[in-house]
Amino acid sequence: MTLLHMLMPLMVVLSSLIPGLIIFTLREDQIELRTLLNLSGVFIKMALVITMLIGVSQGYSYEFRLPFLPNADLTLRGDALSLQFVTLSSILWMATTIYAIGYLEGSPLRSRFFGYFSLCVSATVGLALAGNLVTFLLFYELLTLATFPLVVHRGTKAALRAGRIYLAYTLAGGTLVLLGVVLLHDIAGSPEFTIGGYLTVFETEHSASLTLAFALLIAGLGVKAALFPVHGWLPRAMVAPAPVSALLHAVAVVKAGAFGIVRVVYDVFGVDLVQNLNLMPPLLWLAAFTIIFGSVMALRQTELKKRLAYSTVSQVSYITLGVALLGPIAAIGAIAHLVHQGLMKVTLFFCAGNFAETLHVHRIQDMNGIGKRMPYTMAAFTVGALGMMGAPPIAGFITKWHLGLGALEVGQAWVLLVLVGSGLLNALYFLPLIYRGWFGLPPKAWPEDTGLGGGSPGWRETHWMLLLPTLFTAVVSILVGVLAGTSISPLAWAKLVVDLEFSL
Amino acid sequence: MNWALLSLALPLLSAFWVLLVRRAVSETILFATLVSLTAALAAFYQVQSDPVQTLLLGDWTLPLAIRFELTSLNALLMVLTATIHFLVGLYNRFSRHGSGRYSDYWPLSAVLHSALVALWLSRDLFNWYVTLELLTLVAVALVTLSGPKAYRAALGYLVLSLIASLFYLLGVALLYGEYGVLDLDRLSALAVDSANTRLALLLMVLGLMLKAALWPLYLWLPDAHANAPTAVSALLSALVVKGPLFILWLTLTQIAPVEFAQQLGLIFALFGSVALLSGAWSALRTPYLKTLVAYSTVAQLGYALITLGLLLRWQTPELATALWLFVIAHALAKVSAFLAAGEMQATFGSKELIAVRGASQSMPLAMFAFAVAGGSLIGLPPSGGFLAKWILLQPLFAEPAHWPWALAILLGTLASAAYVFRVVALAFDRYDVETELPQTDALAQWLSLLPALVVWGLALISQPLMLWLSTGANP
Amino acid sequence: MTEFQLFLGLGLLLFLLGVHGLVLSEHTIRRLIAINVSGGGVFLVMVSLASRGDSVDPVMQALVVTGLVVAVSATAFALRLGSALTRAESSDREGDH
Repeated sequence: MTLLHMLMPLMVVLSSLIPGLIIFTLREDQIELRTLLNLSGVFIKMALVITMLIGVSQGYSYEFRLPFLPNADLTLRGDALSLQFVTLSSILWMATTIYAIGYLEGSPLRSRFFGYFSLCVSATVGLALAGNLVTFLLFYELLTLATFPLVVHRGTKAALRAGRIYLAYTLAGGTLVLLGVVLLHDIAGSPEFTIGGYLTVFETEHSASLTLAFALLIAGLGVKAALFPVHGWLPRAMVAPAPVSALLHAVAVVKAGAFGIVRVVYDVFGVDLVQNLNLMPPLLWLAAFTIIFGSVMALRQTELKKRLAYSTVSQVSYITLGVALLGPIAAIGAIAHLVHQGLMKVTLFFCAGNFAETLHVHRIQDMNGIGKRMPYTMAAFTVGALGMMGAPPIAGFITKWHLGLGALEVGQAWVLLVLVGSGLLNALYFLPLIYRGWFGLPPKAWPEDTGLGGGSPGWRETHWMLLLPTLFTAVVSILVGVLAGTSISPLAWAKLVVDLEFSL
Repeated sequence: MNWALLSLALPLLSAFWVLLVRRAVSETILFATLVSLTAALAAFYQVQSDPVQTLLLGDWTLPLAIRFELTSLNALLMVLTATIHFLVGLYNRFSRHGSGRYSDYWPLSAVLHSALVALWLSRDLFNWYVTLELLTLVAVALVTLSGPKAYRAALGYLVLSLIASLFYLLGVALLYGEYGVLDLDRLSALAVDSANTRLALLLMVLGLMLKAALWPLYLWLPDAHANAPTAVSALLSALVVKGPLFILWLTLTQIAPVEFAQQLGLIFALFGSVALLSGAWSALRTPYLKTLVAYSTVAQLGYALITLGLLLRWQTPELATALWLFVIAHALAKVSAFLAAGEMQATFGSKELIAVRGASQSMPLAMFAFAVAGGSLIGLPPSGGFLAKWILLQPLFAEPAHWPWALAILLGTLASAAYVFRVVALAFDRYDVETELPQTDALAQWLSLLPALVVWGLALISQPLMLWLSTGANP
Repeated sequence: MTEFQLFLGLGLLLFLLGVHGLVLSEHTIRRLIAINVSGGGVFLVMVSLASRGDSVDPVMQALVVTGLVVAVSATAFALRLGSALTRAESSDREGDH
C-alpha cells in the first residue's frame, strides 16, 4: 500500500473539515472567499471520491490508521459499502452547498452556518469511512455536535426547543451506542469491520452479552435512524433551515443511523449470527411497524415539511427492513435504498424550500396551482413523490422491487403486505399534493411572492441556485432508476457490496 | 529527581523574591512557572528511563527522613500543575478581567503551585498534612482576592478545611501511635487489620473527603469556587481538590486492610454515583453561570469517587489509570470552562446564566471553548474525558453483576450533557441584532480555548498516556 | 486507668467536643474557638501517645510543635478574615440605609 493509499481516506475527511474550520474564522462580508472555500472543498472531495471508487472497483484498498485505544485503533477505510455512502454524501453535499448559498443569501451568521455545515459533512464522511466500531462511535458523536448548531441556526424559541429535543434524543442514543461498543470491545476487542462479522466465534460463550450489545446498538442507532418509538426528534427538527433539513434527512443524521445498522448487522455480527441469536424477528417487526406508522402519521400532517419528515421516518425504515430480512436480494434493496431515498428526499426538501422561500407556501392547502407559478420545481417534486411511492422507472421502484423479491426469497411473504400498504399510504399522502400542484386552482395572490430570481414561471421562477440543485437531484433520481441495469448505478454497486457480504 | 526539586522550588522562591522586591511581579512569576514547567518535563523525561526515583530529604535516613518519590504519574501531575498554572497565569495577566500585574494573586498562586508539587512528591503522612494546610491557607487567601463579596464563602471554606485537617491529623497521630512510622511504604509493610487502624483511616478519609469536596461533604465548594476570581476558580477546581484525592488514593491502596478498603470502596462508589446525579441536578437548577461550573466539579468528582471506590472494592489497581485520566481530563476541561465562563460573566457584566443568551454570536470563541470543554466533561469521543470513561467501563462490562455501575455512568453522562447544553443552547438563542455587541477580548477567549483543545488532543497520545499512568500508578 | 489512657481519652473527648461545637454554632468566633478546642484535643492525643513508652518520642513532639504553628497561623488568618467579613457586612448594612 502506498502512502497515497493510506492518506486517501483521511484526505476525504479533511477536504471538508479544513475549509470548514477556515470558514469559522471568516467575517460575514467575505462572501467570495467563503464560497470559494466551500466549492473547492466540494470539488476536491468529489475528485478524491471518484479516484477511490475507481481504485476500489479495481481491487485496491485504502486504509488510514492511528493508534487510539488499546485494541482499537482509529481506522478510516474505503471499502465498497463505505464508498457507496461517501459518494452519496459528496454528491448531495455539492448540491446542498449550492442550494444553501442561494438560500441563505443576505441572512446573518453565514460563516457559522457554513462552518458547521462542513463539519457535519466531515463527520458523515468519517462515519462512512470508519473502519471499526470505535471510530464509528467517534464520528457518530461528532455528527451530533456538528448538527446541533445547524438545527438551532435560526435561534428562535421553536428552533431552540427542537434543538434541545434533538440533543436529548441523539446524546441518549449515542450513550447507548457507547455502551454497546464497550460491551463488544470487552468480548472481542474492536477489530475492523469484517465481511460476515467477527463475533461468530463468541456465540456459544457470550450469547446473552451479544444479544444485549445488539439491542443497545440498535436502540442507539435507531434514534438517528428515526425508528419507532425514538423518532420524535425528527419532525420537530423541521424548524431548521431547508438545506439543513435536506441534509439531515437525506444523508447526514438519519442515514448515519441506518448506515450504522447496516454495518452492525453485516460487518460486526454477521448475518449468520443475527440469525442464530434469533435477533431478526424483533428488528423486522420494528422496521415494518415504523414504515406503516410513519406513513400514517405523514398522512395526518397539514404542513408540507412535517409530512415529508414523517415520510422519512417511514422510508428510512425500508433500509432497516431490507437488512433485517437477512437475505441477499433484500440486502441489495436496502443498500441501494440508502442512495435512492437520499436522492429523492433531498429533491423533495429542496422543493419544499423553494416553495417556502419563493412564495412563503408552507402548508399543503396553499399548494393549489403552484405548478403554474413554479413548473420546474413542481416537476422535480413530482419526480421525488412518484419515486417515493415506488413508481417505475424512478429510483424508489428499484428498491421496492428488490425488497419484495428479497422478502419472498427468505419466506417472509407478509412483508409484501407492508410494502404494498406503505405504497398505498404513500400514494394517499403524495398524490393529493401532486394533484393540487398541477390541477388545483391557483390563489389570486400567493401568501407572499418574494419574486426571487425574477418571478416568472420557468427558468426564472426562483433563484437559480435554488432551482439548479433541485433539478439536478431530480434528474439523478430518474437516472439511477433508468440506468439501474448498468455497471455505474448505485444498484450495481449495491450488488457488488452484497456479493462480498454474502460471498456469492 | 533534581529536575523535580527544581520544579518544586522555583515557584516558591519566585514568590519570596517578588514579595521582597515588588517589581515585575507577574513577569517574574510567569517566567518561574515556565521554567518550572520545563523542569517538570525534564523530570518526566528522566523518569522514563528510571521508573521510580526516591529522595530522602536532608540526607536523614528512614524513619526520620521525609521521603519524596518520583514516578511517571506524579511527574505527569507536575507537568499538568505547571501547565495549568502557566495558562491561568497568562489569562490573569493579559485578560482585561484579570487581577492585574501587581496583585497578590501572583505570589499566592506560586506558593500554591509549590505546595501542590510537594504534595504529589511526598510519601509521608505528616508532610502531606503540612502541604494540605498550606494548600488550604493559600487557596482561601486566593478566594478573598475577589473582594468582600467572597469573604463569607472564603471563611466557610477555611473553617471546614481546618476541621478537616484536624480529622486527618488525628488519624495520622493514631497511626503513628500504633506503628511508629509516618512513611507510606513502611506503613504499608507494617499495617495490620486492627480497630485502631480502621478508626485512624476513617478519620483521615473523612478529613480528605471534606477537603476534596467529595459527596456528601461538598457543600463548601460551590460558593467558594463560584465567588473566587476567575483565574482562582480555575486553579481550585482543576488542581486543589485533586490533592486530597491523591492522598486518599495512596493511603487507601497502600495502608488500608483489604476488607476495610472493600467496604469503603462500596460506599465510595455509591456516593460517587449520587454525586454525579446530585451535582448535575444542582448545576441544572442554579441561576448563575459560575455556580453551574462549580457544581459540575462536584458531579465530575463523582466519576473520580466511583472509580476510586470500584478500584478498592475489586482491588483492581488497573483502574488507577482511569482515575488519573479523569483527573487530568477534568483539570484541563475545567480550566477552559471556568476561564470561558468567567470571561463571559465579566464581559456581559452579570453573573446570571441568562446573560450568555446569544453568546454564540457575541463571544463565539469563549462559547466554543465552553462547549469543547463541556464535550470532554460529558465524555464525548475522542476527548480525554472519553478515554477515562472508556477504561472505567471496560471492567464494568466484564461481569453482568457489575452492569448496574455502568448504568450509573450512563446516567451521569446524560446528566452532564444536560447541564453543558443548558448553557450552550442558551448561547444559540438568537441575539437581538439591534443591541450593540459588547467589547470582547480575543486573546482571553483564545486562552480559555487552549486547555480544551489540549484535552481533546490527548486522543493523539492516548496510548503512551495510558502507559505512563499505568506504570506510574501501580508502584 | 493509666495516666496515658486518661490523657488519650481526654484528648479524644476534647476533639469531639470541638466538632460538636462547630456543627452547632453559627457564629464565626464560636466556630473558630470550637476548632481550636478540637485542635487542642488532637495535640493532647499526640502528646500522650508520645509519652507512652519509657522515653518520650521526639518525632511526635516535633509534629505537635509543627501542628501548633500551623494552628496558630491558621487561626490568625481566620480571625482576620472574620473581622474583615464583619466590617464588610456592617458597611453593607449602612449602605442599605
